[in-house]
Amino acid sequence: MAGIVDAGGGMLGAQARVQYAALARLRWQMFTNGLRSNKGALELGARTVSFVFYAVGGLAFGVGAGAAAFLLASGEQWKYLPILFWAVFFAWQIIPVMLASFQEQFDLGILLRFPVRFGSYFLLYVVFGLVDVSTILGGLGCLGILVGITAARPELFAWTALGLALFAAFNILLVRAIFAWIDRWLAQRKTREILGAVFMVLILSLQLLNPALHRQRHEENSAPLGRNATKEQAQQKNQEYQRTKAEFKARYGPWLGTANEVQQWLPPGLAARALQQRVEQQAEPASGPGLGFESLAVLGLYVLGAGGALAARLRAEYRGESLGVAPSRKKAAASQSKAVQDKTARREGGGLLDGSGPIAAVMEKELRTLFRTLPLLYSVGAPLLLVLIFSGVFIRSGPRAHIFPLALPLCLVYAQLGFTRLFYNNLGAEGTGIQLYFLSPTPIRTVLLAKNLFHSVMFGLTILIAGTLAILRLGQPEGVVVAGTVAWLLFSLPSNLAAGNVFSLTMPYRVNPGRITRQGGSQANALGALLVQALVMGVGAAVFGLSWYLHKMWLAVPIFLALAVGAVIVWVRMLRNADAMANQRRDSLIATLMKTE
Amino acid sequence: METAAIQTHGLTRRFGALTAVEDVTLSVAPGQFFGFLGPNGAGKSTTIKMLTGLLEPSAGSIEILGQPFGAGALELKRQIGVVPEGMALMGRLTAPEYLRFVGRMYGLDKATTNQRTDELLEFMQLADESRKLVTDFSHGMQKKLAMAAAVIHGPKVLFLDEPFEGVDAIAAGMLKTMLQGMINRGATIFLTTHVLEIVERLCSHVAIISQGRLVANGSLEELRAGVASTLPGAEQGQRLTLEEIFLAIVGADVQQEPAQELTWLA
Repeated sequence: MAGIVDAGGGMLGAQARVQYAALARLRWQMFTNGLRSNKGALELGARTVSFVFYAVGGLAFGVGAGAAAFLLASGEQWKYLPILFWAVFFAWQIIPVMLASFQEQFDLGILLRFPVRFGSYFLLYVVFGLVDVSTILGGLGCLGILVGITAARPELFAWTALGLALFAAFNILLVRAIFAWIDRWLAQRKTREILGAVFMVLILSLQLLNPALHRQRHEENSAPLGRNATKEQAQQKNQEYQRTKAEFKARYGPWLGTANEVQQWLPPGLAARALQQRVEQQAEPASGPGLGFESLAVLGLYVLGAGGALAARLRAEYRGESLGVAPSRKKAAASQSKAVQDKTARREGGGLLDGSGPIAAVMEKELRTLFRTLPLLYSVGAPLLLVLIFSGVFIRSGPRAHIFPLALPLCLVYAQLGFTRLFYNNLGAEGTGIQLYFLSPTPIRTVLLAKNLFHSVMFGLTILIAGTLAILRLGQPEGVVVAGTVAWLLFSLPSNLAAGNVFSLTMPYRVNPGRITRQGGSQANALGALLVQALVMGVGAAVFGLSWYLHKMWLAVPIFLALAVGAVIVWVRMLRNADAMANQRRDSLIATLMKTE
Repeated sequence: METAAIQTHGLTRRFGALTAVEDVTLSVAPGQFFGFLGPNGAGKSTTIKMLTGLLEPSAGSIEILGQPFGAGALELKRQIGVVPEGMALMGRLTAPEYLRFVGRMYGLDKATTNQRTDELLEFMQLADESRKLVTDFSHGMQKKLAMAAAVIHGPKVLFLDEPFEGVDAIAAGMLKTMLQGMINRGATIFLTTHVLEIVERLCSHVAIISQGRLVANGSLEELRAGVASTLPGAEQGQRLTLEEIFLAIVGADVQQEPAQELTWLA
């Protein structure tokens, strides 16, 4: 037919190319149209700053990976190369967890109403993934490794490039596949609840398992050497360390050996092993030219596997499965008894919080919503897992073993980051429900107060878990550090709540409660939230630093308490002005939180 | 003189250079079922948003039940029920949880909230779906739930923005009966819809807005008489339908050009 491009040619055919161009143009138009408003201009500024921030972080990571690769290659320490690949792998897969609250993603599902081929849909999904922060960072890490190894051993360039290309392809596909599947599971109530329960059990289990796994270190670190330790004490400590080390080796050595065997068959291990085998083959040409290829072939299978997992998910979406509307699998046979159960549940269904006022109503609603919204649970819980991982940074071993004295506040600071989305976009998950707050006779300040109270309780629980986790892992810190940390939290919480309320009213963004990926977002909100949190943390660091310097750690407590009083006053004043602020912005607030595109 | 349930004076809303609603003055008497009509983009939803506190007017004033109304008029909001354009639902709650939440936000005590929740769910035929999340409801079920939420606190004035959209014929009939019952008990209803048959059947008074301006306002008979006198070809005593009245009023306002034929359409 005249005027229609040829529909053939697959995902690189004429029609597909026209569609790619149209999509690129759409993104450009959305970008330029967004700049028409002040909010859009602010977003651009925030994006620019974020880009610089990520670029610096990515370059540092790349340079670090490159330097490590160079040192390992030039020192012929190939057996340690897997550690570098595992580091890149974890960065690639974990960073999306950390940035789930901050990253804005484009939902390609809108394309499915058009005659887009599956191949094109898949390709676009993967291509859009290339601009994710994790992919850029992981890519820079791979590039660093390539440069590092090539600088040390130029003859390995092609082989390294091939291995890294496969490794990168695997990571790109895996991270997209994982999140696509999580989104799918979240779309169904039953699996959503199962995942929520599994997630909570996982967090609690880690708490219980952690002390058992790290008892050795715990015991070792529970009695750190003071500054005035004698030589004999140091020697005794050294002997204890050597004994513990020997015991550790005896107990965990075989296990570590098995783990090493296993990791060699996993993608990071395979990528490293391919390189290692190539080096061995060059050193001993008699071993045969095929050495290393089998590792790459297995890695290639992993790439296909990750691609297949992603394709399976996208194929279902392509065939019309809507994640926005979860399919209801009601069995007809059970509907009669279910109806009776429903009625009973309804009649028995008093509130979780037995108050009848709006504050109790909002808190109850928040509780129900939180446990049905995995993205929110995830953003609260993920930092707890990372506290577990990163607290290892503070564990020192060896004869001069001691715990970094401020490890506890640092762990709690990280746990606090999980609350960024809850604090700074506390209306984001309301969707069309935001209208109700403006229609009902309940003032917005009451709604925000209830949300703040609920979030404070959640925050308190999380801090308690993270604190317990950190203490079990690192040993009990000095009492004065605990007191200072608690005082800092009393300052930090109202500061974040006050700023969070302002950001929630002025720079909100809609949170899709059924998805972790493909969320909208606001870079301005994210950046502003990070700046405020950095300020609060900076004040904490300065006060702790000053107290440490003066050898008067107790001094931090009254300073933080004085700051806390100021923060509470600011929070109360903010709440008093909340209605005026909300009413002034209700139009854009409602439009932003209700928009579906 | 009886205080109007809804009264506006010179209500205007501008979005930058665009004037969406301009100088709308209208009065709705207590107990009236008032239909507010207009073509797409005429300013209906903008007007209803201003009347319910979801949008700040650029100019003009609003009085509900004789009192000035604005976003801060919290006591007055207890007297108002609204089914807004977006339905104001919360997807992660079940229907009973949502209704109980709304009841408490409107200041109802627990016993009353629970009792009305049960009654409304039964009435709206949603009782069997009380374990399902609102997000998993069909559009029609969501509309029914939004309607239940709008009336749970027994409002004296009810604003409905397209309440019948997506609702099946059985439920629509049920809702009409419920609304008629409210009118009989003295409530005032302000309704916008594109379904003119519903307006014709339910409403005693109608206003028509076009391009942001009020172009007609009165009882159906008044509009009929007004249009019949100006409509060429209308016979004396001919009973015009609301659709004919609407097209005569709004159609005259819209540029009538013969549509170019789209020959590439099948």
